[in-house]
Amino acid sequence: MKLPLSWLKEHTPLNAPVAEIADTLIRLGHEVEGVESPRADVKGVRVGQIQSMQPHPDADKLKLLKVDIGEAEPLVIVCGASNMGEGDKVPVATIGTSLPNGMKIKKGKIRGQTSFGMCCSEAELGLAEDAAGLLILPSDAPVGAEVGDYLELEEAVFDLSITPNRGDCMNARGIARDLAADADLPFSDVPCPDVSVDAGIASPAISVSAEDDCPLYMARRIEGVRVGDSPLWLQGRLLAAGQRPVNGVVDVLNYLMLDLGQPMHAFDAGTLKGGVCIRSATEGEAFAALDGRELKLSDGDLVVADSSSVLALAGIMGSLHSGVTEFTADILLESAFFRPARVSTTRRIYAMVSEASMRFERGVDPAMVAVAMQRATAMITELFGGKAGEVSISGAADSIQGGQSLSCSLKRLQTRLGVEIPASCDAVLSRMGFDVRRDGDRIDVTVPSYRHDISIPEDISEEYARVIGFDAIPATMPQLDITRPDIPDASIASAVADGFVQVITYAFIPRNEQRLFAEADGADIELANPLSDAMTVMRRSIWPGLLNIARHNLNRQQAGVALVEQGRTYVRTAGGHDENNLMAWLMTGEVQRDDWFAAARQADFFDLKGAVEAWLQNRGLSARFVADDKVRGLQPGQSAQVLVGRGIVGRIGKVDAGIADAFDIEVPVFVAEINLDALPEGKAPKFAPLAEFPGVERDLVFLFDRGTQAEDILQAVRKAGGRFLTEARIFDLYEGQGVSEGKISLGVRFMLQAADRTLTQEDSDAAMNAITEAIEKRFSATLRG
Amino acid sequence: MSGIDALNEQLSGLQDAAVKAFAAAADPAALEQLRVSYLGKKGALTEVLKGVGKLPPEDRPVIGQKVNAVKQALADAWQATSEKLESEAVSLRIEAERVDVTLAGRRRDSGAMHPVHKGLQEMTAIFSQMGFSIAEGPEIEDEFHNFDALNIPLEHPARAMHDTFFLNDMSNEKGEPMLLRTHTSPVQIRAMQRCMEDGEPPLAIVAPGRVYRCDYDVTHSPMFHQVEVFKVDRNVSLAHLKGVLQHFLSAYFEKDVPIRLRPHYFPFTEPSAEVDIGCVFCKGSGCRICKNSGWLEVLGSGMIHPNVLASVGIDAEEYSGFAFGLGVERLVMLKHGIPDLRLFFENDVRFLRRMGA
Ligand SMILES: [Zn+2]
Repeated sequence: MKLPLSWLKEHTPLNAPVAEIADTLIRLGHEVEGVESPRADVKGVRVGQIQSMQPHPDADKLKLLKVDIGEAEPLVIVCGASNMGEGDKVPVATIGTSLPNGMKIKKGKIRGQTSFGMCCSEAELGLAEDAAGLLILPSDAPVGAEVGDYLELEEAVFDLSITPNRGDCMNARGIARDLAADADLPFSDVPCPDVSVDAGIASPAISVSAEDDCPLYMARRIEGVRVGDSPLWLQGRLLAAGQRPVNGVVDVLNYLMLDLGQPMHAFDAGTLKGGVCIRSATEGEAFAALDGRELKLSDGDLVVADSSSVLALAGIMGSLHSGVTEFTADILLESAFFRPARVSTTRRIYAMVSEASMRFERGVDPAMVAVAMQRATAMITELFGGKAGEVSISGAADSIQGGQSLSCSLKRLQTRLGVEIPASCDAVLSRMGFDVRRDGDRIDVTVPSYRHDISIPEDISEEYARVIGFDAIPATMPQLDITRPDIPDASIASAVADGFVQVITYAFIPRNEQRLFAEADGADIELANPLSDAMTVMRRSIWPGLLNIARHNLNRQQAGVALVEQGRTYVRTAGGHDENNLMAWLMTGEVQRDDWFAAARQADFFDLKGAVEAWLQNRGLSARFVADDKVRGLQPGQSAQVLVGRGIVGRIGKVDAGIADAFDIEVPVFVAEINLDALPEGKAPKFAPLAEFPGVERDLVFLFDRGTQAEDILQAVRKAGGRFLTEARIFDLYEGQGVSEGKISLGVRFMLQAADRTLTQEDSDAAMNAITEAIEKRFSATLRG
Repeated sequence: MSGIDALNEQLSGLQDAAVKAFAAAADPAALEQLRVSYLGKKGALTEVLKGVGKLPPEDRPVIGQKVNAVKQALADAWQATSEKLESEAVSLRIEAERVDVTLAGRRRDSGAMHPVHKGLQEMTAIFSQMGFSIAEGPEIEDEFHNFDALNIPLEHPARAMHDTFFLNDMSNEKGEPMLLRTHTSPVQIRAMQRCMEDGEPPLAIVAPGRVYRCDYDVTHSPMFHQVEVFKVDRNVSLAHLKGVLQHFLSAYFEKDVPIRLRPHYFPFTEPSAEVDIGCVFCKGSGCRICKNSGWLEVLGSGMIHPNVLASVGIDAEEYSGFAFGLGVERLVMLKHGIPDLRLFFENDVRFLRRMGA
């Protein structure tokens, strides 16, 4: 909301510098998003009086003006407008002036005649969207004065962000009241004017059937109005506050809304049929809204209607055809209090926002309903003529929450704030409209009618906090119990230490990417209102996100990427949904680039497997990898389940080449995931004495059938190796020349060791023989050496 | 010439020849060969000494001294040459093994933690060390925990401001629609509910996590991170909130930062305050980033609204609490001078490595 300083000054004589006022507003809880000095761009535009007007000798449509701007000589100005005459006062942009539309005024020849400035229209001054001719200023405008000063265009305008609880401050009066109370300045309401009522004009028939939603409704007829443009000062106010002038009547109502906070509505009485009723809409009732939409209303929506159609969604928007136009002669003026929750609900259902609804849904001041009606009537009849009838009233202002009384304990308020509340604060609250009485520990507060946000003692504590100022509240540490501190999850750290870059991708992915690694089995969770097609379902795998990031980086000249992400996946279940905590890895491209010491090498299955093993080992866990050709999206023969103990905790493998291709990745891509929720607690390392006696290292090389799995061989070795076998591993793998087709040569290296002595040749020979025998028996294997 | 003289001459000649030969040895092997040929069991010296037995007994001590002197001279000569050869060999080896120390070291590309995750961990750790327990909650939430229990009823304007993502055909056991949580505050409700199941306050929780808003532009991401912090106990005050905020912000930014609380409005706190820190870019003198105010808004805070406490059965007469929610991305951007929120979700490894180093 934008509020000019001059407007605030109408309510209270603010004299502090603008920056100080801005600070006070912030301290009181009214966020200042900016302070503008509007119309600084019309500096150099001055009030001029046309002394003479002659036709341009060479152009029918142009005129030569001599304009007095208070200098020794009048200016000669070539002008194309026709709405002015000798003696008129007009804005004159002098040489060197830059206008809001970007035009820079220079001395120039127009059809052979030199022009020393330009006479301006409202549009050229940025006061209106367009204009038919020059802006004719009032005859008492001082010649030579800056037009910006004269029209009060140059001043400070506060751009305020009013919090939703402070509906009472969505207007000049409310803000001025807070500022006046804080600075202990007088605050004056514009007196409620007397309105002469014409007894010949019938008071409108109103009936309110939805009294809960509309506890107060006032309406009156004003007949014989000639709706013209509103006066310039009023248009200036609206423009400064960021609103566009519409027509005289609408402008008056908008002005009063910005001044008092009471939105009003004016219907063209000539379009109405019968009396006005305020009722709940019937199911499916049609409403042609002012914004051009055709709505089907529902039972419960509060409407203002005549006997034939809906005139307005109460407090939100009028209908397309019932509004006041420049042709309207008779007006039905409405001022009311609509229940905030009703306005909010209806507004939300139809996705409508209006200046009126914003105020009604935050709650308006019931006491202003009648005041606004009187002031609007007075202004309209004064500016546009017409005669006003008697007001019809349904309900009463004092039936609406107001004058509510609260009683609280001073000690409790002080405990909650952590600071003493001096009695001087009560005076500030009084100036804000509260009635505050202290009696020992009790504080009794009567809340003003416009403060719908205050209903409990904590609300009072906030008022005191505003008045004391948050700066004056000390910073103290609370007592915190000494407990065993939780250790933040460090799953990522060891993967990062292993060379992986952690990424964070969105939890929602496109449906087609979901299908790459998860079946269409009804377990998807879909967004009802996705932002785009790329964010439609909650991911069931992190891999699509990683593939997208891999592509992004490969496209930016990264020869290889190693990514890791920790995050959730989301699955619909019979009873609701599961959120699983996952670690996911991706490796692709070069793990070793060409270097002075090594040739480039592409990532393969075992690079990633090693990373997953290392990560698990870091948690005190070891895993088995069991080949599984049926992992969706992974290439058969290079994919596996990851088991810890007997449970499956994850998957690993090579991404199907077709899928990688769909992500424009031409090199092999490897991915893995581990379900953190499925991992058992790792074991903290336990001390064991180090071997004292040297071990014996021995090698055996066998020929196996191709397809024999290393894990099976090592298991057989461990089983047959006897008590001295401490370690066995595959140290060599060979197939090709010298090894017959369908065979594979595998070398196994053993460590044999005893805790209490050095092993003898016989000990190790016995173990080797047992192993050889077991291998040859279990597999169709032959010893090579 | 007497026997002793001849022997003396022989010994002197041998010494001269041996010393010359040792000095001329080209390598340790040649030297060893010479040592054997002069000093070995069958060497030249042994050969000469055979003549000693033929000398008269009175000459023997004299020649004995001479022999010892020759032996010593040979040993010295051998020693000198040996040391010389050894040091030459060492120099040769060192020269042969010389490397270009300016060549790049052999290493892999380093990994990096995502700056948002790192920030989340730093923040969580600060609160954890202060004595707050870590809690988490579901990201797919019901309306009760995300809104109603937090004193944001359906018709409340703040509810519409939350730009909520809803989910198709998902409801809780009461049939209420499910949504993606718009803040980490539901964890506050869940933690208080758990606490009340088998006990009562005090309760001090830090809850980090992902949250979602249906909003996507230069300064908004549909998914981002928050850290919710709250404490419920007897006599918890706004001053305590200020104390914890001051401690946290100074710890996180690793320097004393001025803070400013401004009254604000949140449905779930009363009083409510927005918290600013002195602009970290201009030190408060005013710049483009702080819009010349010298302050940067960093989080929303307040005293937990009695309705929120009541929604989980905590007696607001007896207990009070403070709560605040940190925007992780914003704090990380401010701490590291990261200009654009979108960098976090673009996941360019060059950016991540630079920030994660
Ligand atoms: Zn700054």
